[in-house]
Formats: sequence, C-alpha cells, structure tokens
Amino acid sequence: MADDVKAKDAEVIKRLEGLGKQVFDQIDAGKEPSIELPVRTLGNIFFDRKSKTIKLGDKTSQRQFLNIAHTRKFMQTTLVASEIKKIINQNATTSIRDLYYALKHTIADTNENSFNDQSESDPLIEDIESSLDLLREELHLAASSKGVIVGNMKIKDGKDTIDLTRMGSGGWGIPSNVEPERIEIKDLDAEYILFIEKDAVWKRFNEDAFWKKNRCVIITGRGQPSRAERRLVQRLNNEYNLPVFALMDADPWGMYIYSVIKQGSISLSYSEEKLATPDTKYIGLTVKDVETFKIPKEVTIKLNHLDVKRLNEMKSYEWFKAKEWQEEFALMKEKAIKLELEALSKKGIRFITETYLPEKIKSKDFLP
Amino acid sequence: MVEEKKISEEENGNGPVLTAEQLAKEFKEHSVAEFFKKNRQMLGLTGKIKTLTTIVHEYVSNSLDACEESGILPEIEIKISELSEEYYEIMVKDNGPGLTKETLGKALGQLLAGTKFHRMMQMRGQQGIGASGCTMLSLMTTGKQIQVISGTAKHSPFMAEMTIDPKKNEPKIIKIEEIKKEFTGLAIKAKFKEVKYQKGEQSPLEYLRRTAIANPHAKIIFIDPFGEKTVFERTAKTIPAKPIEVKPHPKGITVDELLTMAKATQGRKISSFLKTDFDRTGDKAIEEISKNISFDMNKDPKKMSWEEAEEIIKSFKTTNFIAPSTEGLSAIGENRIEASLKSIVKPEFLSVLTRKPTVYKGGFAFQVEVAIAYGGNSGKSSGEKDEQTGQEIKRVEVMRFANRVPLLFDAGGCALSRAVQGLDWKRYGIKNLDNAPLTVFVHMLSVHIPYTGAGKQAVSDEEEVMEELRLALMQAARQIMRSIAGKRRLEEKEQKKKLFLKYATEVAIALHELTGKKKDEIEKKFHAIVLKKLKLEEKMEKELEQKTDEEIAAELEKEAEKEKKGKKNKKSAIKENDGEE
Repeated sequence: MADDVKAKDAEVIKRLEGLGKQVFDQIDAGKEPSIELPVRTLGNIFFDRKSKTIKLGDKTSQRQFLNIAHTRKFMQTTLVASEIKKIINQNATTSIRDLYYALKHTIADTNENSFNDQSESDPLIEDIESSLDLLREELHLAASSKGVIVGNMKIKDGKDTIDLTRMGSGGWGIPSNVEPERIEIKDLDAEYILFIEKDAVWKRFNEDAFWKKNRCVIITGRGQPSRAERRLVQRLNNEYNLPVFALMDADPWGMYIYSVIKQGSISLSYSEEKLATPDTKYIGLTVKDVETFKIPKEVTIKLNHLDVKRLNEMKSYEWFKAKEWQEEFALMKEKAIKLELEALSKKGIRFITETYLPEKIKSKDFLP
Repeated sequence: MVEEKKISEEENGNGPVLTAEQLAKEFKEHSVAEFFKKNRQMLGLTGKIKTLTTIVHEYVSNSLDACEESGILPEIEIKISELSEEYYEIMVKDNGPGLTKETLGKALGQLLAGTKFHRMMQMRGQQGIGASGCTMLSLMTTGKQIQVISGTAKHSPFMAEMTIDPKKNEPKIIKIEEIKKEFTGLAIKAKFKEVKYQKGEQSPLEYLRRTAIANPHAKIIFIDPFGEKTVFERTAKTIPAKPIEVKPHPKGITVDELLTMAKATQGRKISSFLKTDFDRTGDKAIEEISKNISFDMNKDPKKMSWEEAEEIIKSFKTTNFIAPSTEGLSAIGENRIEASLKSIVKPEFLSVLTRKPTVYKGGFAFQVEVAIAYGGNSGKSSGEKDEQTGQEIKRVEVMRFANRVPLLFDAGGCALSRAVQGLDWKRYGIKNLDNAPLTVFVHMLSVHIPYTGAGKQAVSDEEEVMEELRLALMQAARQIMRSIAGKRRLEEKEQKKKLFLKYATEVAIALHELTGKKKDEIEKKFHAIVLKKLKLEEKMEKELEQKTDEEIAAELEKEAEKEKKGKKNKKSAIKENDGEE
C-alpha cells in the first residue's frame, strides 16, 4: 500500500510540475502566459444518464496573466500549485485552511496580501483538482468535515479499530479522508443507510437507538454535507450494496441537499463520480406528508419569495425532471408551505422514529 | 394742508414729500456730486466688500489706460491698510505718464469730466464712479481729502492734497507743492469708511489676479491689510494693439443717440450726416433709406425732430447694410492668455481659443476668447480635503471678463456664466462641472458690451454671442478632453505595469518551485512580456483614440451644420406662419 501511495504522489507532483512547465514554456517562447481551466458553472455541467451523476462539460476558459481581471488569480493559482507540491514532498496532509495560511503573505514592496481570505484559495484548489483531474485527497488536502455516523459496523483507521455501536450520544466523527487506503469498513450488519439532514434530528434517532432496532446506519452531514460524508455513503452503497434513504426538511434547500448526495453539486461536478450516490432515495419530508400523516397546519411554515425562486430554479434541473418531483414541487407551490423535520414532534416526540419512518419504509413511499 | 401732508408722509415713508417746485429748486442747488451722494446704489456702491473692490477697479483701470495710451508697460502697486474697523486707506501707484497740475483737478476732482459721449471703441470703461467718484466717496465717508503725488516726463514731481466740492462739482486743491524726488507716474492715497476687506472670490486680490491674467503686459503688486505681498509678474513684453475708434454702425444706434449725433455733426444735410458719421452707409444704403422715409434727406440734421429720427432708425432696421468692421477690436490673443494662465494658474493642461471677431444684433462687432485650465492650481479651493488622497478638493472657477476687465459680481445673471454652465461637460470627460479642478476663462470684447445693468457686472445673452461662446467652449473643451485622456491613459499604463510586475515576482517564485528554473531568469522573461504587451496596447489605444477624436470632430461639425439649418428652418417657418396670418 505504501508503494501505491508513493507512486500516486509522484504522479500528482508530475502533473503539478507540468502546470508550471507549461507556463514557463509560454514565457520562454515570448507568448502571453495563460492557464487553461475547465469552466465550473451551471452552463458547463450536464446530467450523465449513464452514471446518473452531474458531470463537467468540456468548456474551458483561459486564465491570462496579462489580463487585469485575471492576473491576481493567475498569480494565486501558481502559488497554490507550488504550495501543494511542497506539502506532498513533506509527506504531510493539511486542511484547506492550513493551506490558506501557508500561502498568505505580504507581496514584496507592497502592502498587498497574496491572499486576503480563504474564499480566495478554496476555489483555486478546485481549479487545480479539475484541470489536473485529481482528487483533493490526492493533493494531500483535507476539507473540514463535520458529519457523524453510528451503526452496526467497525472502522479500521490506521492502527485503531473503532466499534460504531459504542459511540455514545455523539457518534463517530467522520474524518476528512475516507479513501480505502485510509479507512477500512468491517463487520457491517445493516439493511440500509439513513442520511439525515439535521444534527438535532440525528441525535433523536441515536437516542432512541433507531439504528439498533431497525438494523441501519444513521449519518448526518449537519446541513450541507462535505465530501467525506458523501464519499463514505458512496462506499457503503457500492461496497455493501446498501440502499440509501435521505431524510430532509420539506423545503427547497433540504431537497437540494438530497440532490447533492444523489447526483452531486455543480462546483464539484468534475469529481462527482467519486462522490455521488445515485441510488439514494428521498424518504421525506414532503408536502404530501402533511396530508398523509395529518400534520397540523400550524406547524407548517409559509414559503418566502426566496424559497419560491429556488423552487422554480430546481424545477428546471435535469435531475429533478421525474414526474414525482414535479408533482411535489407543484404541490409545494400550490400550498405555499414548507415543513421542518422537528415539526413532527407536534405529533409526539417519538412519532418520527416510531411511526413516520417505519411506515414510509414499509409502504415504500419514496421520491426518486 | 397739514392733514394732506401727513397722509403723504405715511404713504411715502421717506420723510416730507416735496412739491414739483421744491424739487426743481433743490435739483438746481444740488450738483451732480450731490446726486451721486444720494444714489450710491445705482452707481454700484452697495455692499462693503463690493465697494472696496470697485474702488480698486477704478484706480487700476485708470492706471492701465493711462500707461497704454502713453506706450508704457504698466507696473501698478496697490496697498490696502486697515486703519480701524471698516476704515481703510488705499494706495495706488503706477509708472504711467502722471498728471500735470492743470489736469489733476479734472481727473480726480470732477465727476463726469472725462466721459465722452458714446465712443465707438473697445474700452475698459468705468464700473460706476470713476476716480473722481472715489475722491467723492472718501470725502463722504471720512471727511478727508486725498493725497496725490505725480511726476511727468517733463516736470518735476509734485505733491497735492485735494478733495471735491460736492455742491459745485469742482475740485478743491488744499495744498500743492513740488517735491525733490525722482518719480514718474501717479500715486494716490485715499481713505474710506464703510468698506471691508475680506478674502474670497469678490476680494480686491481676486480682482487683481484676474486683471493680471487679462493684462499680461502689466506687472501688478498687491499688499493686503495683513501685510501679505502678492506679485503678478508680467508675461508679455509689449503693449497690446490699441483698439481703433470706429464710426457707429446704423444697426446699433438708438433714436436718442442719433439725435445727439445730429446736433454735433459737420454734415449739412441728413444724407451727408448719415454717410460721413456712420459705418457702412454707402450711396446704395442712403438711397434705400430715402425711399422709406417721409421727409427730405436734404434737411439740416440739426433741425431733425424726434419723430424723424424715429423714422430713420426704423428704416435702418429694414436696410441691408454690410456688417460692421471688426478691425477695431484688440483681443488679448491665445499666446498671451496661455502665458499668463501658465504663470498665474499653473495648470497641468491648458487650452486657449480666440475666435474670429463677428457681429451681434447686426450692428456691434464683438469677439470671444476662452481658456480652460485643468489640474495644477486650477479651480478654487473648497476648503475640504479628499479623505483618500489627502489632497485639497477643488471646485470649478469661472473667470468672466469684458474688455479685459474682470467681472466679479452678478455671476448668476451673466450670459458668460450661463454659456459655461450650459455646455454638456460630460461629453468632454468632466462628470461634474461644479467639482472639477477647472478654471474657465471667458472674455468678451466689443465696442459695445451688452451689460444687463448700470453696475456693468453681467452680460445679457445675445444669440450670436451665446453661439460664439458655445463653439469656443466646445473646441477648447475637446482639446482639454484629449489631454486628460492622454494623462489618464499614461496613469493607467503605469498602474498596469506596476501590477503585472508585482505579481510576476510572485509567479516567478511559484514557477521556480514547480520547475526548478532560476527565479531571476523567470522574472526577466516575465518583465519582457509585460513590456511588450503594454507597448502593443499603447499603440492600439492611440489608434482608437485618434479614431474617436475624428468621430467627435465630425459629429461636432455635423451638429453645427444642423443647427444652422435648424435656425433657417425656424425662420422660414415663422415667415410662413406670418403669411398665413
């Protein structure tokens, strides 16, 4: 395994150096230096029906050093590439925040910083990942992760083996790198994975030992999940063939998070094949549930104009074209309401774990 | 009787009402000087600040006129001292021809003495009271005489103390004695109360600054009440060409003026009077006039009645005269304006334009000169500082001149200001005129400046004058725009270069890390590419700018053309309407 890692690192360094060499060759030939980068916007992504994930199109743009609007970013891109090379050579792994601080300095003879904010370096990392066709983990970079998981399974992380049935109320914090070289899954005994949008709801499920009673794994990304949670879910799905159910708020934001788990996001479209889990199914909440489960009107929330705007955008996304989704969107628009997971507590504190979810799974009342 | 008087008093509010007989008696007793005393407002002597500036104007323009007439390059020193609150002494000294003992009284002690009737020439002119008026004002406000020292080329200098007899309008020489001193020129010392020295746009200093700008052949030295000395150096070494006195053009004359001229003429017949005393009255024109009047042109002009004069003026209006000669005008000239503005305003960019003379109302020759100064010391101080740059914020400064005399008052009612305000400055890259670091110089010269009032501080808007001003300002503004654009381009280029080179150093460090090539070598190559790129850009920008400028020029021409046509159309449209009626 160590040799694999070394070979991989050598390959990554070669590509980073290639980026530098390309720029050097341009100036050596007296040409205006520019770096070609894939365009990572809605206009250059597509829904790949075969892999059922979002993929990056082949539009590219040129980041030109001699363009006033590009020059700072060009400079920063080369700095990010050289810094990553240093990190790999030191055989270290750092967070993207560490990287930002490592890169931040005052430019000679000025009072200008090379980077003012992490929001300047983060997208450049994604630029390098997508243009060199590398994963963040391969660049020895770790995005911060915040998700937790429990269930009937064991994890081997380096020399440590962790029993995920004995994690108390907090659960196991998912590390940023969950690649097979690092994290091994063992002794799994579960029928499905339940991906819960909100931490508070996940805690309810953990407190009620829902995973024990229902033989499942429960995981939360605490809102918008980061790469590690999504990668881990994908591995559980791929390696153990477990179905994945998503439990989100019945609002455009919850539903979009679901679509990120299932098909991927626009900004990471270049690596969604490694992150998305197309098998994921949407278990709830839906506006339809309000009627089915006789949820009192007073716990629903009125849609605001931003919700409506987001709803309209989502309606046109390729991966939401299924009839069931379009009907749900139409209903949400018609009723002009949304519903939070916590609202189910109105029907009793264990309504969600003891009534709602088992019934939904039993009746297979999912959205695709 | 008593009751009646009481009512009248109340109605009038100004004290006892005089009967017509009493008025006539009083008028006889009171001389012109008394009239002056009672009508200070009409003579432009209102306001403590304005009065002081007007006094300085009267003395200084007298000095300039005297020097120029004698072919002397003027050097004038003005000193204002504060004696106590609202009590000042003014000293004006020039290097002119001086006054003789004989001319002294008339020049400084008799109101309306030197004023000739309707001189058809470009003159500085009084703004109200003249130097004798100052003597009068000094007496009225302080009870004191003025002191004069005069030396001429032929006689040794003398010192005099004098004042004016307000009842007789006669000079009153109190003391006169020869002094042993080498001096040619005139020095006057006079005291005034109810005046006030205050810095600002209407101050004597500003008046003198502008006078120096419009009279670059003069050296002006000013010492203010705080002892601060300002010297405006001479930038032109020759005296400007003397304006030529021209005969009046028939289109620019009133009934009253015609009658006055008829009384003084040498001509024995009306026809010969018109032919010899007026400009552009040839045989053909005389013939045309004779057809339009009901009386015999052989009549003695001295016997012409008011009604007959009216008929002649009426016929003048319909007669086709050749436009008046514009030869008599003496412009300052582009080179001289440029030199004086460079010396006094010290702008970063300057554009000066003297238009060709032309005619307004068909009868008066006039000419306009404009200059636009940008940057440097242009504009007036706002007293505020820019928060970012720490530099003082400047506001636009509009300097108006009529026959080389600065107009400091009534800016709002003046056509010269309106012409400046009316220009579409945005077109010329000036987003907000009020807050632009600009000095706009506008000079109108004419044998007859169309002042709006007796104060002679504002010019009325005559169509032809406005059009000339507009065209002149447009041309000057276009030139300034080009200079500013060039400067901006240069600044931008410099900024760009700095930016690229700054980042090149960083990129070189990164590339060194990635490729192992030498940092210096990479940086050198980057520098070469940056310079190459900027050179190429400059070439392209220049080409583009030239193209834009040509386009603007074409557009201006087209607009002027359109306007001419529009006017014609408008006129013919009116004619058509008249026809229908």
